[in-house]
Amino acid sequence: MFVDTETLDTLNNFSKNKYKYGFVTEIDSDKPKKGLDEDTVKFISLKKKEPKWMLDWRLNSFSKWKEMKEPQWANLSFPKIDYQDIYYYSAPKGFDKKPKDLSEVDPKLIETYNKLGIPLEEQKVLAGVAVDVVFDSVSVATTYKGELEKLGIIFCSIGEAVQKHPDLVKKYLGSVIPPGDHSFSALNSAVFTDGSFVYIPKNVKCPMELSTYFRINSEDTGQFERTLIIADEGSYVSYLEGCTAPRRDSNQLHAANVELIALKDAEIKYSTVQNWYPGDEEGKGGIYNFVTKRGLCAGENSKISWTQVETGSAITWKYPSCILKGDNSIGEFYSVAITNNYQQADTGTKMTHIGKNTKSKIISKGISLGHSQNTYRGDVSFSKKADKARNYTQCDSLLVGNKCGAHTVPYIESKNNTAIIEHEASTSKINEDQLYYCRQRGLNHEEAVSLIVNGFCKQVLQELPMEFAVEAQKLVSISLEGSVG
Amino acid sequence: MFLEIKNLSVKIEDKNILKDLNLTINSGEVHAIMGPNGCGKSTLANVLAGKEDYEILSGKVTFKDKDLLELNIEERAQEGLFLAFQYPIEIPGVNITPFLHSAINSKKKYLNEEEIDNLTFAKLLRYKANELGINVDMLKRSVNTGFSGGEKKRYEILQMSVLDPDLAILDETDSGLDIDALKIVTQGVNKIKSKTNSFLIITHYQKLLDYIKPDYVHVMSNGAIIKSGGPEIASEIERDGFKKFK
Amino acid sequence: MNIQDIYNLNKKNFLYSQYSDVENDRNNVLTNFSINKFDKKNNESLRNTDLKKFFEFDYKYNHQENQSITRINKDGSYSIVSVNGKCENYDDEQIQIHNLSELDSKDYFNNELLNTDDFFIDLNSLLLNSGFKIKIKKNKNVKIKISNLISEKNFTVFQRNYILCEEGSSVELIDEYEDKNDAINNVYKILQIEKNANFNHTIVQENSFNHSLILSTHTICKERANYNQHVYNFSEGYVRNFHFSDLKETNSQVDLQGFFFLRNSNTSNNKTFVRHSSEDCKSNQAYKGILNDSSKATYFSNTHVDSVAQKTEGYQLSKGILLSKDAYFFSKPELKIYADDVKCSHGSTIGPIDENAIFYLRSRGISKNAAIKMLVSSFINEELNSIVNDYVFEMIEKKLIRYLSEIK
Ligand SMILES: Nc1ncnc2c1ncn2[C@@H]1O[C@H](COP(=O)(O)OP(=O)(O)OP(=O)(O)O)[C@@H](O)[C@H]1O
Ligand SMILES: [Mg+2]
Repeated sequence: MFVDTETLDTLNNFSKNKYKYGFVTEIDSDKPKKGLDEDTVKFISLKKKEPKWMLDWRLNSFSKWKEMKEPQWANLSFPKIDYQDIYYYSAPKGFDKKPKDLSEVDPKLIETYNKLGIPLEEQKVLAGVAVDVVFDSVSVATTYKGELEKLGIIFCSIGEAVQKHPDLVKKYLGSVIPPGDHSFSALNSAVFTDGSFVYIPKNVKCPMELSTYFRINSEDTGQFERTLIIADEGSYVSYLEGCTAPRRDSNQLHAANVELIALKDAEIKYSTVQNWYPGDEEGKGGIYNFVTKRGLCAGENSKISWTQVETGSAITWKYPSCILKGDNSIGEFYSVAITNNYQQADTGTKMTHIGKNTKSKIISKGISLGHSQNTYRGDVSFSKKADKARNYTQCDSLLVGNKCGAHTVPYIESKNNTAIIEHEASTSKINEDQLYYCRQRGLNHEEAVSLIVNGFCKQVLQELPMEFAVEAQKLVSISLEGSVG
Repeated sequence: MFLEIKNLSVKIEDKNILKDLNLTINSGEVHAIMGPNGCGKSTLANVLAGKEDYEILSGKVTFKDKDLLELNIEERAQEGLFLAFQYPIEIPGVNITPFLHSAINSKKKYLNEEEIDNLTFAKLLRYKANELGINVDMLKRSVNTGFSGGEKKRYEILQMSVLDPDLAILDETDSGLDIDALKIVTQGVNKIKSKTNSFLIITHYQKLLDYIKPDYVHVMSNGAIIKSGGPEIASEIERDGFKKFK
Repeated sequence: MNIQDIYNLNKKNFLYSQYSDVENDRNNVLTNFSINKFDKKNNESLRNTDLKKFFEFDYKYNHQENQSITRINKDGSYSIVSVNGKCENYDDEQIQIHNLSELDSKDYFNNELLNTDDFFIDLNSLLLNSGFKIKIKKNKNVKIKISNLISEKNFTVFQRNYILCEEGSSVELIDEYEDKNDAINNVYKILQIEKNANFNHTIVQENSFNHSLILSTHTICKERANYNQHVYNFSEGYVRNFHFSDLKETNSQVDLQGFFFLRNSNTSNNKTFVRHSSEDCKSNQAYKGILNDSSKATYFSNTHVDSVAQKTEGYQLSKGILLSKDAYFFSKPELKIYADDVKCSHGSTIGPIDENAIFYLRSRGISKNAAIKMLVSSFINEELNSIVNDYVFEMIEKKLIRYLSEIK
């Protein structure tokens, strides 16, 4: 029994978790009035000097949003979001034009990113990683651009893509997540401010990790970024996003949309390390993270793989999904979600098998601590045409303490008698025998907990690109802080 | 002609596995096939048994003057072809006794012979099990379910001896058997060996061939038979490996 | 006729209608019964079902007649023929049986049973026209078989059965629903299992094509109580099974198992829900189904563990075999866990019969069709072999053979 008490001690230490990225950068920013109406949409479009087709698309999305209610099915409770009490655009002053190179960027901003561990100066950039940085609503810098251009790869902010590659944007924007899909996608489509755009040409294997770092800085600002990645036939790209925000007492809204399109024989690997401010120990403040991520395996033999490590946000509402349309296409979802204090996460995936011989794999690991609620929600379906399709799902939950909850809500559907679905799930507390074993070998209690949790997540963490696996492991440990030295 | 495989080429999932393979077996003969892992031995066995995942690219197989490739899986079995699997599958819930009983009766029906009743069959099965040193309690269990590796192999031989095939293909039936079991199993084989039935034995070890004397030994590599000869080949392989045959 | 009209026309005939608070409650429930007000969220488990015939039907019931029989057999077991939701009153030192009367109206107001938000249970509350109560007396050990029949074509029966197993009692109940009349039979069973009582419940369903059976059970387990339920569904008509258990006191245990064998265009909706409200309890929920032709099935299972329910073990299993290209299966195995010292898991598979197993059997000379049948029956052989009651075993085996003979 004494181990139990100690587990609880560790638990209490976890909740003292200090959010390391909680500082605010003092930079003047350029904001419209608070609230959302047609004028806000027009203001954003004007600020970004968008062509008329883009503005029309936004306005159309806005009118859809006005008619819609927020999706109700998630296992989350939070006060109603007041959409009129949010700034929909915030740019560091003087960003009317995007800086040509880093010498034009406010040194304070560069300092911010250095603090976050994301040096922007190219020579310092992590070897082999190209970074696009989004600060509040604006993309501030994209590194390694030249090198990528040589291969015909387009990696820029979505704002820039609207200007320079309108054909690609017109063709694919909203093709996987139609603006009218649900209210958050309509909202994002109306007011998205920035985000990344990637195009990998035919048969090009992108030689480096592409990465975007998002940060919400200004108070009362919503962040609505939009990411669009297109992998043309036979191409490959690995993409990583990371997110942080300062500590604030009020809640901030983040409603991103990410669309991936993999054409014939193409592969996209998308990794996320989400570490938005989760709120304090009492559950005050934190980011509301309502994200729609969806990938379309449009062509034969294409593959989309989502990996996510979710440790931040007061509320996470997120289901990176795959539509497996091309024959033999593959969808994967690897997820670690850790909730502590009063965090609530409702996350999972949707695998829609349409093509023949399509395969999907889901590995989800949820860890609940404190007073948090952690839900896995999944949907696997085989359409009538999905001959010989296969799915394997494994979702495991770990509970630490008896004030939190762990929930599993899978939907499993088959209309094809040659397809096979296998689903396994388990919920348990941290294994006392394992703890005992580790401690017998000389680890202290905290080390043992951290070791076991990391082991529990290993299957997912090893899917991350090398450069970030270490970072993610650290993040897992920080989320359990107090347990490691 | 008893069994004649001519220019057989087979692929699975875009991968050519058997390439222009030739092999002839006459009644009463014992043939052994040896070859490195992955060369296609089990594939050959499965193609002969009629497994449907394979695509036959070309070639012809005649078995007892019939076009074997035209017959479906159970017809081949009823004609007298038996495959002892390398990895016998577990089928929970399907009881051994009724399963084998209906197997033998489908064969009888096919051959227009009288079917065997429950009691006679139970006796036969017990007798054969005793012969092979199989505990009769095992006959109450589900097919291969929860059997040890060696038990599965023994049980394959029991099925063979009950079904009394004309051509038995033994795919690595010796691996996983302890020395006593090996003796019992090979005794079983030798017991049913006669002038009218033949064996195709796939193995990695000469040991088995000490107990069951083959008339011919074939070396298989990369989907084809590259050398055939007498039992002496087995000893060469045992000594030097496959290198010199390549 | 729609439900509002049915209710208003027959108001005076429903049980307990003389109580004004019952009437008030029913008036509240009534507002839920228009198609556009249908509560999709709470009735998710009814997906893929055409509910029209339950929103609009002709109400028909005979309140006067009672043809039911209760008798005690030579071996001491009881046989009950319940006709149209009624029973013959009976009392001896082991059991007591009586039809529902005004005396039982207080049961109606048991808040736990009311407001379940389930479409069919609400309908049962609204149109309640029959039912009975069985008490198994303290420390008695009894065997009961109930044949549930409907006497006339197009009857619509809405019945409640209360079964109380007093402390230390032990009950083996076989509930048969085999009826060839076109009818709607909506049964809501409330089972209370007191301390140290044991209840083995076998439910067999084989109704004709136009007979809809809606069977809901609500079980309450007290300290060290055991409830085992095995449902076998061979019906050609629509069947809805919804079985809820609440493990209210420590060391109690519940096992809810179901087996369904569907063919033609039949639909079956299944739902089990176990609530762990106390510590040291165990539960198991397992449904297995075979779907032939264009049949459809859903299975929703849920293990809910309250934060006080430490040392819980809760397991779920769902297996569906699709035999034909038009068959459909949907499952949603849910875990809601608020306590940390738990062992909970669920497994779920949907697919065809294992091709490698078919190959193995065929390679021994067994025809494809015979191999498929062998593997289908293997799917429940383990269950079949665990049936200790010879009567049940033979009955299920016979039905299974009949089902298998129709597989082409
Ligand atoms: N279903 C399949 N899909 C793809 N490749 C396959 C399949 N089955 C077999 N192969 C491949 O075919 C080749 C031959 O396999 P096979 O099992 O016939 O080898 P083997 O000679 O029996 O080997 P071993 O001695 O290890 O039993 C191997 O490379 C194997 O990986
Ligand atoms: Mg082999």
